[in-house]
Order: sequence, then C-alpha cells, then structure tokens
Amino acid sequence: MVNVKTDALGILFPNVYDGLVPELTSARVMASIPFASRYRMVDFVLSSMVNSGIEDVSVVVRENYFSLLDHLGSGREWDLAKSSGGLKLYPPYSEKGLGVYKGRVDAIYALTHMLGKKKQKYIVMADTNIATCYDFKDMLTKHIESGADVTVAYVEQELPEGLKKAENISKASIWYTYDVEDNFVKKINICDQTDGVKNMAMNVFICEREWLINIAKDAYMQGKEFFERDVIIPMMDQIKVYGYKHENYSVRVTDMKTFFDQSMDLLAGDNLDKLFNGQTVYTKTNDDNPTRYIKGSRVKNSMIADGCVIEGEVENCIIHRQCHIKKGAVVKNSIIFSHGVVEENANLNYVIADKKVVVSEGKELIGNPDFQVFVAKGTKI
Amino acid sequence: MGKEIVAMLLAGGQGSRLYALTQKLAKPAVPFGGKYRIIDFPLSNCVNSGIDTVGILTQYQPLVLNEYIGNGQPWDLDRLYGGVHVLSPYQQAQGSDWYKGTANAIYQQLAFIERYDPEYVIILSGDQICKQDYNDFLQFHKEKNAEFSVAVMEVPWEEASRFGLMVADENDRISEFQEKPKNPKSNLASMGIYIFNWPILKQYLTEDENDPDSENDFGNNIIPNLLRDGRRMYAYHFEGYWKDVGTISSLWEANMEVLDPEKSGIDLFDDTWKIKSRTPGLPAQKIYDTAVVTDSMITDGCKVAGEVTHSILFAGVTVEEGAVVEDAVVMGGTLIKSGAVVKHCIIAENAIIGNNAVVGAMPSGDNKGVATIGSGVYVGDNAKIGPDAMIDENVKDGEERW
Repeated sequence: MVNVKTDALGILFPNVYDGLVPELTSARVMASIPFASRYRMVDFVLSSMVNSGIEDVSVVVRENYFSLLDHLGSGREWDLAKSSGGLKLYPPYSEKGLGVYKGRVDAIYALTHMLGKKKQKYIVMADTNIATCYDFKDMLTKHIESGADVTVAYVEQELPEGLKKAENISKASIWYTYDVEDNFVKKINICDQTDGVKNMAMNVFICEREWLINIAKDAYMQGKEFFERDVIIPMMDQIKVYGYKHENYSVRVTDMKTFFDQSMDLLAGDNLDKLFNGQTVYTKTNDDNPTRYIKGSRVKNSMIADGCVIEGEVENCIIHRQCHIKKGAVVKNSIIFSHGVVEENANLNYVIADKKVVVSEGKELIGNPDFQVFVAKGTKI
Repeated sequence: MGKEIVAMLLAGGQGSRLYALTQKLAKPAVPFGGKYRIIDFPLSNCVNSGIDTVGILTQYQPLVLNEYIGNGQPWDLDRLYGGVHVLSPYQQAQGSDWYKGTANAIYQQLAFIERYDPEYVIILSGDQICKQDYNDFLQFHKEKNAEFSVAVMEVPWEEASRFGLMVADENDRISEFQEKPKNPKSNLASMGIYIFNWPILKQYLTEDENDPDSENDFGNNIIPNLLRDGRRMYAYHFEGYWKDVGTISSLWEANMEVLDPEKSGIDLFDDTWKIKSRTPGLPAQKIYDTAVVTDSMITDGCKVAGEVTHSILFAGVTVEEGAVVEDAVVMGGTLIKSGAVVKHCIIAENAIIGNNAVVGAMPSGDNKGVATIGSGVYVGDNAKIGPDAMIDENVKDGEERW
C-alpha cells in the first residue's frame, strides 16, 4: 500500500558506515552497494519513505558519491522527480563557509537554511546500511501519540559479527544500543560489545523540524560532531525518547562476511518475501531483457536479475543484472555484481565479484564458507 | 517550429482472432516476449529512429493501453514539444463518430498532426513484431522525391495472394496495387507502414471523407486514389524479421522465435536497437533447488520450483515444484500449481492453473493447436484443457474442455 502524503521530510545519510566494508565502498558509498540482485542499499529506505507518503527527501552526501548520483538521477524511479519537494542531493560545500561534513551535526547544520523554508512539521532521518522495509507512517504516528521529543528505531538482535571485531570499533563506525523501558529509551550505550540480545539502534530519528533546526544550530556552534553521541546522549535527562521496535526482516551491512552470509540467507525459505514484506522497492531500471537460460544450462537455488545469459551451471548464487555465465562455467555459492562475465569452463566457488569482473576461460577462484574471494570492480582475471 | 515527421500509430484494432487474450485489452497491449507488449516495438522503433512525436489511435478497450503508455517516459517520449499522445475519437461541433476505418481514424485526428506542421507523416501499425529503422525509410522517401511510400516485404510467390501486393518497376515506383489477388503480379507485400508528404495525406483523407461510398481504408481507398492520380508512389524494401501477430498461433510462434534469436532473426538482446518497455518493479527471479530450467526466458518476480523447458515466463509467474511447463507462453502474475502440466499454449495474465491440471498438449498428427487461457481464469485441480481450447471463464476441478 502506498500511503497518502505524510507531513514529514526525509533526510538520508548515504556515507555512514562506509568504513565497515572498505572493499565495496572503494568505488561507491554504502547507499549504492548492490544488494539482492537488482537493488542498491538505498532503494530500501528510500522506497520505504515513498511508500510511507514522504515526498520530499534530502540526501546528504559526503564523498565518493558518483555512483549514487548516477543511480538516483532525478529521483524519477521513486516518483520523487517533483516540481516542489522530491529528491535533492546535498554535497559538501553546498553552503558558503562549510567544508566536507565531519559528522551528522555538520551535515544537518548545512541543511538548516533549506529546512527553515520547508512547511512539513516533522523530519525522518535514516542511514542506508540497513536493507529493510520501514513503516515510517506508523513510526510517526507512535511519535506523535507518545508525546516524545525524538523517536528512534531499533531491532532486537545479537550483536552482528562484523561489530564484534576490534578493528571495527572506530570513530567512523560507532554504533549504539538502547536500554528501553515501557517503549521509552532510558539509556543509549556506545559500542557495547557484551554478549546477548540487544536493542540495536538503526540510526533512524523522528523529530519536529523546528526542534531539529534549533538543536543543530546550537550543536554546530559548540563544535559538536556526532548527533547521537554528542547531542542526544547529553540531553537524555531533559527529553523523551520513544523507542520504536522494528520487527520486519532486516539486513545490516557490518562487514564483508555478514554481507555475504545475509545475502545468501535471502535464498533460504521465504526470507526474500519477508525482506520485501509485500512492498514495492523501487530502483533504477535499465531496459534489460528477460534473462535467457540456454539449452544445457543448469541453475539451482539462485536469485538472478534480468539481462543475464546463463549457459553454464549456477548453484546457490546471487547474480546481478547483465551477467553472462558461459558454457561449461561452474559458479557456486557466489555473488556476481552486474555486467560480470564468467567465461567458458571457469570455476568459481565462494566468490564475491564486484561490477564488470571478467573471469577468463578455465580460470579457478575458490574461497570457502568462512572467507570469500573478493574481486574488485572491473578486474579481469 | 514544425516537426520534420510525425508518427501515427493505429492501435484501435480489437484483435478478435486473439479472442481470449483481447477481451479486456486492445491487441497492441497484448504482452509479448517476456516483458514487452506488442506496441513496444513500433514505439521503440520510433524513438530509435529519432521520431519524437507519436499519436496512438485507440478505441477498443483502451484502459490497459492508456495506463501502459502513460506519459511515455519509458520510451523517452515525455517531451516538452511532441512526445506520445493517446488519441481517442472525440465529439466535435458537427457530431461524433467512432473511427470508421484506418483512413477515417487519421482523418479524425488531422488537427493533432496540424499542431506540429510536419513535412512527413508515417502511418504505423500497432500489431506487428518488427524492428525497423523508420529513418532509413524516410531517407528512401526523400531520395525518391516521393509523395507516398510504402514498406514492403518480399513474400514467397505461393503465399502472395494472402497479402496486399505492390507492383513496382525497377526504380521501385509503384504502378499497381492488388489486394489479395488470385493471380498475383508481384510478391511485394505491403507491411501497412506508409510515409506521406503531409499535404498529400491531408488532401486525400479529406477527399476520402467526402466520398460516401468509401470504406475509409488506406489499402482499399486511399492507395487506389493515389494511383488514379498518378502520384509519385514508391515501394521501400524491408528485409528482416516481420510478423503480424493477429492469430493465437502466430503470436505463440513469434514468442517461440524470440527464444531462438540466432535462427529466427528477432533479436531482443541487441543493444544497438533496444526495445523499451514499462517495468513492473518486482524483485529478481528466484530459481529453487527443485527447478529444472532450460532453453527459456524468465524475468523479474518469477519463482520457479518446477520444470521449465523452451518457454517464456513473464514478470511474477510462479511455477510450483513438480509442475511442468513446456513450449508455453505464460504471462505476468500467473500461478502454475504443483503437478500441473502446461504445454504448447498461451496463458494470459494472472491465471491460476490448479494442482495436476493439464493445459494443452504437444502437437501430434495434424493437431498443432495452441491452447489459450484468458486472463484471470482459474483452471481447477485435475482439470484438462485440450490443445485447441480457448478458455475465458473458470474451469471447475476435474472438468474437461476441448
């Protein structure tokens, strides 16, 4: 269902957590990481906003954003090419005197002039590292009913593997967990690595527009950097923070291993349906042909996008658009991003091939369940 | 400023021989080739040929077609000046009428063409599968200094009498037109695609309209009148794949030919001449552990757990475990349940084929019939649909239809 217009603006931060998957973000941002055969990470949260009736979305990009510009274009595919509102990208230096955004506070501050001119009462902010279908309409309703100053969303889960690694505790990839009592957040913890199920923050915030403008201006003047750590946490005893438990199937990118495992999980049972949850997720389309399965091909337990030609053997794979698996090639337990070519009699097992990878005739690339061979964008092997 | 050329696409046909497939939609809107509709071919040809102004003339069941065309964006035909416009008959000061014939349809929309003040008008047919460069055709028309040109295909002499034939000299100038003659003097069949100089088109359509005895048809009236007056008329030879998909068997055959582009000549995978379409936005196709897929074309949103051989599945088709699909064209959203056997047939959109039901059969002896299931039809468990059947209402469990 697509909701009628919602009285809220959306703001997306596509660079947040780039550092967790350096291989995938060397040529792109978190938001434009290809996922689930024909999507990019940003498609899920952006489509959720549109399906929740949000028709004005600002995307605050920091660096490395060419692939995202290319993907989002005018926003037409999300029905966000509008004469007023719609989709807008805000690169750094968009305001005189501002440089590259250091943290979310900087980025929001850069938007305050624009935000001041808007009419919507509420703001919904989110990152792009989680693929899930959000119900922002319901979240906003809960926010209003609860009388909270800020509403945050969380998922009840164990700490993802990627966040257990020591090297992933860095300033650029801080994560938060919430202590929740009667739907309200009592305490926000920073990088809590203890065992057990936690309320993992999704970095989704809902608040009033005017409220955010004032907070952001103050915080910026005081040299604060991170919205949650430096602004919200110190205010916890003065404000009401509603905790919205998000229960839809969600995939959080925290490192290459979990990216691989969670992608593969989509092949099992009805996980794919759960991820989409009956919603339409919009994405850039390319006039691809239907995929051709040539006589002699053999495909098992795989998800394949349009525009591919399959002549060889494919098992337990996620194949993105416009790939060609040639005769005699065997590809198992692998993720092949778009425009990949696996030539005759090549053999791939436990491989993640970025876009436009060519594996020449007869070559072998073998990883294992614990460690996948990653092939960088455009590599010819 | 005027446009050099405006395209008028005749899409009003009911396609009565496609019966079960065209109950609720016009023939040009019939799905084709996995993710297209027939009209995607002439529309994409226009765009690929650089024609950016297209009028689509509809009158029979236009709802699906109107929604599909929308603002023309998928074909890059959402233009500030020009673009694609769906033209239905409308009420005018002196009365109103449905389109009486192909010529009358264009006549009723002369005001649309007038707005763009073109030099040339190309008349296209909305029910052919063909990849054609209309710009090449236009260059021919200009080089010959023609007033009227028609695209023709050479057909085998023994089949010539099924077509409208152009008799032309060695310079391609047309001297005679024969409509389905017993004794053909030519084997150049008209493809129903014409280029007119705009003043000529306007003059002859107006004359034709004032003739109470006219059938208002291009082939039967306009072309003979042009010949009568000795107009400069030329035949443009087209070589390549061309198919009028007016019957169930030709539609089925054309779909099967898409599966074999190397031999059939209809290559939808050619990047230099893309056929564009509106996409439904479904997740990628999923092929399950139990699936066997070979020699087939499958698109977004399909879930295949059964056996699919030499078939085309459109967006969002589900083939359950144990179901068998062979030589079949299965349109969007259809569900084929476990144990069902679906062969040598066309199944329209959003149909349900029940458990262990049988639809169609492989050709045996003289019977090469293509079974057809209409859109939204429910074929009950264990039901049996014979190879010649055309089904447009639900079939109860265990029932047989031939």
